[in-house]
Amino acid sequence: MKDRIPIRIANKRAYVWDVDDLVRIRSEHHLCGLLVGTLPHLSQQNVFLGVPAQLIPEEAMLLVEQQLAVFIDDPNAYPEPSLSQFERWNEQQIQYLKRQKTILESDLKPPQLAQRAMSEEAIQKRKQRELKRQQKAQELRQNVEQPIFVPSVEDPERSSVSSSQYTISVSAPSSSLSWYTPSSHSYSTIEAARQGGIWDFPSDLRDRARYGVFKDLWEQGYFMGGGIRFGAIIWCTQVILSDTTRIFVRLSSNHRPMQ
Amino acid sequence: MDDNLQEPNAVPKVNLGDEVDEEEQSSGDEDEGPDWTKLMPNAAKPVIPKRGDKEFEPSKQGGSGLQQHILNRSRNAMFDALRATRTISNKAISYGTWHPTLSRVSVSIARGTAMNTIGHSAPREILMADGVLKTQKKLELLPEEAIYLIERGSLMCWKESVSTKYPNDGIFEDVSGSPMTVQQAYSEMIGKEDLTMDRVRDYPLQTSLLFLSHCGTISAFIIRPAVFFTLTATCITLFILDIKPFFADIFSDYRLVEAAKNQQMATKGEELQYINSLGSFALSLTLALLDFIFRSLRFIPSGHKVPIYTPPEKNFPPSPYEPFFNLYKPPTPFKKSAPPPPDYQIVVVDARTTPMPSLRELAAIYDNAPELPPPKPRVKNPPQVQGVSYKQTSAPTPAPGNPTPVSDHSQLQTSVQNTTTPLGADLGPSGLSSSTPARLFSWPSWLSSSNPGPTSNNSRAERKPNPFAVLRQGKKTAIIAVVDAGTINIFRFAQGAFETGPWF
Repeated sequence: MKDRIPIRIANKRAYVWDVDDLVRIRSEHHLCGLLVGTLPHLSQQNVFLGVPAQLIPEEAMLLVEQQLAVFIDDPNAYPEPSLSQFERWNEQQIQYLKRQKTILESDLKPPQLAQRAMSEEAIQKRKQRELKRQQKAQELRQNVEQPIFVPSVEDPERSSVSSSQYTISVSAPSSSLSWYTPSSHSYSTIEAARQGGIWDFPSDLRDRARYGVFKDLWEQGYFMGGGIRFGAIIWCTQVILSDTTRIFVRLSSNHRPMQ
Repeated sequence: MDDNLQEPNAVPKVNLGDEVDEEEQSSGDEDEGPDWTKLMPNAAKPVIPKRGDKEFEPSKQGGSGLQQHILNRSRNAMFDALRATRTISNKAISYGTWHPTLSRVSVSIARGTAMNTIGHSAPREILMADGVLKTQKKLELLPEEAIYLIERGSLMCWKESVSTKYPNDGIFEDVSGSPMTVQQAYSEMIGKEDLTMDRVRDYPLQTSLLFLSHCGTISAFIIRPAVFFTLTATCITLFILDIKPFFADIFSDYRLVEAAKNQQMATKGEELQYINSLGSFALSLTLALLDFIFRSLRFIPSGHKVPIYTPPEKNFPPSPYEPFFNLYKPPTPFKKSAPPPPDYQIVVVDARTTPMPSLRELAAIYDNAPELPPPKPRVKNPPQVQGVSYKQTSAPTPAPGNPTPVSDHSQLQTSVQNTTTPLGADLGPSGLSSSTPARLFSWPSWLSSSNPGPTSNNSRAERKPNPFAVLRQGKKTAIIAVVDAGTINIFRFAQGAFETGPWF
């Protein structure tokens, strides 16, 4: 049960969110899934896509039926975090920020320059300059009209965090959240998932026939995927080499959607 | 030596489909010595056709070490790319709160150009500190808009917390609940408000397609019609697709054919009597037949103006072919509070459960679509113009939301003519046939959108548009995105008509 791949079910669709699970599905069970998410650092294109990978219903059902995976009712697996859980998460974010800063300082600035920039004297000077500028701006404003809003000088602790440049990380998979509880919402059989109301494939005779064909071809060792771009139900390719990365890319690139 | 081969290069070669002759097809190894396999008898030759060079060829031994090495490298490159974390600069990130009860994300801090075209403002009642309910307008995002922004790393989304108030003492400018991962956003937001996975996937596809095909910033605007039903009264009529009233009380094709048959049966006897009195049987037969044919032909109406026969007693299930997204081209001057009529409307359907659109369903989409003006002939270096769109047809009507009634074809056509005359006259045929000075003069007139001069009108009359282009474009268009487990195909259906056109 423990080493089964968690397939997250949301709105009756099956997704794989963890890249390690994706590696296992692809290399051990020769199923591909289809990447449907956006790559974080390449968000303005749709040639290369990222997690999640969406499994076609046949793939998801096959994995669960072969006892290789479990379904997880994902929308219900997010209880509200307690205050302590949130604080721990917050602490992690602050640690992450500090790590960034140390890396940035050690990497980007040459040591002498960094020292000068961070020396006590320089900081004092910079603060004074900032204060002067603010006073000047205030005087100017007073000359023109009545002051509406007097900016208060921020406390130095706070401003050092908010004024500097740093990055915020938004995690794609939820497995890093301490309050995420997938285990209490998992279903290890299709029947249980159907009774739980999160899964409805196969819903009729036609679906069962599709699944039968899919399973048979999978047992023969074929790689398969959705074949709508070829006017078919599934595409399948023989596996003699151990992966379809290259073949798959070529096939899909030749069949762009009609515009 | 094999550096080029070893580099994981997922970008396919462009010339794959090109014709390659026999010599180029054989791999480099075979070129070194005489290739004895070419002398094999035909029956023994492998039957799988081979085109172009293959980096990997299936072999029973399972591929060479080099092949395996390259495959592993390319696979690891893929997984490494997938493992990359989503990091956002604190200066560029927007903050929002997901309200599961409202199915909306309210934006507290909005940054970036994406926010110019995404979201809408909605009045919400807020409990103030002194216990008074106040109505405030807030920028809100639809679920698919929120997912799109979270995925591309523009939005930090919190889930509204019911009981706990979380402290804001960390690195965030705004904390309004528990933090959401992308996975949580997918799981919780999809399924709300008719939003299915298919539609979510379609959303960024539209943006990226337009992004690719138009200008350098991402500025395609996509809006769901349904939202504006609730927002402004003027827009309520804008996108309503009501099929039944159009067909319920109008003559059907079927009845007309029946009537034509009855007419034929009645006239046949009279005709024969008349012909016998003349005494020329052969001639009379011909005349009778001709008359018979003409009567029949003339009597049956045809074309798209004739409504489709709908049995009045049947109740049809609700059609999945309803427009879900409005699409705007990037140069559209766009106001969030009063969106202009869209350039295109897109229907999104699930390939697994939805059959091909029936004639009736397609007709329903066409009825809502504007009539397209004939395509303009190609002009070298055309200025950037907005394409044929809903705007041009609905521009003359005072309320931009009225769906086009079926009976209004003639009026519509004239309005199309009116609005397109400056465009077609100046950029179109005259641009090709008239001399350069004339063209130079005509462009400013188009830019200032004044009426074209008489010369350009004359030149318009001289030349008809290319019939093939007209046929290909059709009079009306329906765009359908078909999604099968993540794979999206977009199809364009066009309604063409032979009854009118440049060939007459």
